[in-house]
Amino acid sequence: MKKNTFYLIFGCIALALLIVFWYSVELHNSLLIEIAFVIGIALVYLAKRNVTDVINDERNIKITEQATARTMQVFWVVFCTFSIGAVMEILRVPTFPRPAFGARPADILPPRMMGYIQLGLLCLMIFLYVGFRIYYAKKYGDFETDEE
Amino acid sequence: MKNKIKIFRAMHNLTQEHLAQTIGVNRQTILAIEKEKYIPSLDLAFKISRYFGVNIEEVFIFDEKTPSVLDK
Repeated sequence: MKKNTFYLIFGCIALALLIVFWYSVELHNSLLIEIAFVIGIALVYLAKRNVTDVINDERNIKITEQATARTMQVFWVVFCTFSIGAVMEILRVPTFPRPAFGARPADILPPRMMGYIQLGLLCLMIFLYVGFRIYYAKKYGDFETDEE
Repeated sequence: MKNKIKIFRAMHNLTQEHLAQTIGVNRQTILAIEKEKYIPSLDLAFKISRYFGVNIEEVFIFDEKTPSVLDK
């Protein structure tokens, strides 16, 4: 399979997922988009394996490895910070000074916001990965030019 | 790690693209090795030197004074 064919398939899958997402919102059924998403990603991976005109050599693998490792190094700290906040919210850790009887402490992370926060974290992860990938690609000579 | 790939290429009248295709890597990888931006694995280093029909030490020169890419 050619690289361009893969991009075409990728675009079609993304479009199909968007339609399923909209349909899932209409039906108030999140399971539908969740299953569709897993199937969609599996199809993308399957299609990517059949691309023949892209050589994934050891330098590319090294760039990917380094970028992934650095992304995880930063991401887990941010993720843990938000998770601690969320766990505190669930456990209702007592505050000092204690609030008046019956009064609830202010929500640190309102449950409704969790979805948006997760989406934000996902975007952060993607931005971190792209940033680190550009950095390591530059470090290992991806943007070098030659007279040839 | 210094190398003489560019010299050997010139001697064999080879382009980076041709060498890359033969070895099974991207042209950018050959360019990165030539510019000392990337140190190839032993496997790739052997493939390159075997392609030119010489020993690995004739193509790649280990220089202790030059900091490795990994140290930077």
